[in-house]
Amino acid sequence: MTNENVLSVQTERVEKAVLICPLGRVDGSNIGALESAIQEQLDVGEKTLVFDFAGLNYISSGGLRVLLVTARRMQSEGGKTLFCGLAEHIAHVFEISGFTNILTICQSRGEALAAL
Amino acid sequence: MATSPIRLLVVDDEEDLALLIRQKFRRRIRKGEFDFVFAHNGQEALEKLAENPDIHLVLSDINMPVMDGLALLSNLEDTNPDVQAVIVSAYGDMENIRTAMNRGAFDFVTKPINFDDLEITIEKTLNHIRALETAQEARDRLVVLKRELDVAQKVQMSALPKEVPSSATHDVQALMIPAREVGGDFYDFFPLSDERIGLVIADVSGKGIPAALFTLMTRTLLKGTARDSSSPADCLSRVNDLLAEDNETCIFITLFYGVFDLRDGVFRYSNGGHNPPRLVRSDSRVEVLPSTENLVLGIAPGHAYRNGEVQLAPGDVLFLYTDGITEAQNSHEEEFGEERLDAKLAGLGQVPAREIATTVVAEVHAFAGDAPQSDDITCMAMRFTAPLSSPTVGRT
Repeated sequence: MTNENVLSVQTERVEKAVLICPLGRVDGSNIGALESAIQEQLDVGEKTLVFDFAGLNYISSGGLRVLLVTARRMQSEGGKTLFCGLAEHIAHVFEISGFTNILTICQSRGEALAAL
Repeated sequence: MATSPIRLLVVDDEEDLALLIRQKFRRRIRKGEFDFVFAHNGQEALEKLAENPDIHLVLSDINMPVMDGLALLSNLEDTNPDVQAVIVSAYGDMENIRTAMNRGAFDFVTKPINFDDLEITIEKTLNHIRALETAQEARDRLVVLKRELDVAQKVQMSALPKEVPSSATHDVQALMIPAREVGGDFYDFFPLSDERIGLVIADVSGKGIPAALFTLMTRTLLKGTARDSSSPADCLSRVNDLLAEDNETCIFITLFYGVFDLRDGVFRYSNGGHNPPRLVRSDSRVEVLPSTENLVLGIAPGHAYRNGEVQLAPGDVLFLYTDGITEAQNSHEEEFGEERLDAKLAGLGQVPAREIATTVVAEVHAFAGDAPQSDDITCMAMRFTAPLSSPTVGRT
């Protein structure tokens, strides 16, 4: 399969938050990589996560589920989760599924960090 | 641990070896770890193995009367493939030792026997045997799981509605092609009364067994709720509340549900975060059903679903699909996409209603070519033929 496993997840600590930047595709074959990158931040009690999707080409519904679980867990622990840098077709998926109404979505990384 | 001792077979024509082994391993025998069985030649060894099916490790000399160690190895391969052999032979006998290794012996030790080395070799071989057994158990479990999965597939496919005969008012065709044994998509159509039919298409997040279980649960809840709901939105709101109860894993389902009135051609629907269906007019115009701006089902209890409504005229087609259609990729990682879908729908022309779903899926398959199918592909088409004739007025 040509498009399997093409995902790397970079995390970056900035002043007020931790940025999580998945590069490539998130699908059933590599969802664990995204989950463990998130889990690392939850384990150290990080309170603010910003998902920067500028390098994301595709996310499966199983990937969206992971984002929902994360946002819900952060909220229950008094934390915040923001999403930014969505390409048009990814924004379309968020739109159709109605996630734009329950998740905090910003245009750019700058806007997301300014909103904190 | 109160486990039974590991039984080992020692094959040698030297009488005093048995004594020596019992002496050197006395502690482990006393502790109940090892139990030795002895044979004097290959023939006797095979008999002992037949009597003691729990023996999986044989220590064998090469030069023996009746049947030598090399012949024993050849026999073991055929009769006891799960038995591992360690060859015990004179240091100068390297040629025979090589032959023994080529016939499948696991290891060898040389005479005069260094018992510390022999013990290490026995432990190493036992570890190897355990690893083989574990692998075999895993393989057996996998076979059972595979069989269960095949049954699950049959259960899931048989839960989908069967084809219904053509009616004077409408025709429906639906198709689901799971990417794996079981899928996370489903469709349904059912009469709500003599005048109204319900149409459903849905896609659960994730795949495999968890997704398949969720589809069956949702389908059952929806069908049970549909009849006494006042509208599609009312139905989705109630199903959503039931699904969202205790749903910690956040599995969600995108679900479109509509009710078509065969008397006047009105289609009322509510869309829970699903890809918007298409309305293909009889003059080939393709319209996207306006969104009801609602969330997927299962994650937000209390979410208020809204209704949408469109009017169908005879000849119009409703086309419902899941993203397995639009996100199907070819080998260049290009997606089939909504534009290709709409173009195909616009070109359907006089394709019989009962061939629309198969025609679209064939187009998706042709586009994808050899690229592997990564998501379930599901679609459903309904063509409105003519309104239901009222018993008093009659059709003109």
